[in-house]
Amino acid sequence: MQDISLHLLDIIENSVRAGAKCIRLRIINDAQQNVIRFIIEDDGCGMDVDTLAMAQDPFYTSKVERVKKVGLGIPLFKQNAELCNGSFSLTSEPGLGTVLTADFELDNIDRLPLGNLKDTLLGAIIGHQDIDFHVNLIKRDKGKEQSFHFDTQAIKEELGDIPLTYPDVIEYIEQSLIEGIQNTNMEDV
Amino acid sequence: MKTLADLKKIREKAQEEMKLRGSNVRIKIVVGMGTSGIAMGAREVMKAFLEEISQRNLTDVLVTQTGEKGLSSLEPVVDVIEEGKDKVTYGNMTPEKVRKVVVEHIVNGRAVSDYIVSTGS
Repeated sequence: MQDISLHLLDIIENSVRAGAKCIRLRIINDAQQNVIRFIIEDDGCGMDVDTLAMAQDPFYTSKVERVKKVGLGIPLFKQNAELCNGSFSLTSEPGLGTVLTADFELDNIDRLPLGNLKDTLLGAIIGHQDIDFHVNLIKRDKGKEQSFHFDTQAIKEELGDIPLTYPDVIEYIEQSLIEGIQNTNMEDV
Repeated sequence: MKTLADLKKIREKAQEEMKLRGSNVRIKIVVGMGTSGIAMGAREVMKAFLEEISQRNLTDVLVTQTGEKGLSSLEPVVDVIEEGKDKVTYGNMTPEKVRKVVVEHIVNGRAVSDYIVSTGS
């Protein structure tokens, strides 16, 4: 993966496969603590203790139909976080959901760039119309905090039976994300 | 700043259109978004479909994302599903190929045989 936003897309797809109805993504960019934190939380099927440990092993996949038994999504993300003095944790409860947290040291020379967060979110939101997304972007610096909250539930309520793939809606969501990403200075992290 | 009031306008406009044309989804596009697909550029493929839908004002097309299905060497992979027709799977997709598929297949109804990697259910 070339950047963190691609990892996020990958992790979101894990939540989708776990049957999540609601996915929360939080990104906290804290300059003072020198850390950028990613939290992805879902209400999918969750994992028991054994599966949770195996999920971080590249030679484990939950897909039984597959001949090729590898699952690189989580291990690669973990590796990239740890490579730059960061940390990674995965907690889960069967039936309740999963929370993934990854910290990256902001000024570390080995840290991947955040990349195109807007396209990650746009694709995930429109590509999964039946899942609610709550996105929270927070930027903290010198005691000031800027934040952006985006909630697809409110949009869907307003739209009624109009699909998210309706051309003007795509544009609306894209513009909202662009504004939020700019306001929290996440376009060039 | 985008507000919910903007959405209300969009809804009214869309509802007017649906009265005239009906709200049927004619064609469904599924972009494979597994780990290998993402690493090979599936997000950009997804983005290209969304751009084309928006620019060409295609209101009867549904785009979704899915995990990978064992065609890793052909990623990014895209399925085009049309009612009453065989499913068409395109492989090694790029944003440029997406534009061609949208014009020839989605709009004009002729599958782009050069990019097809499999057909049928």
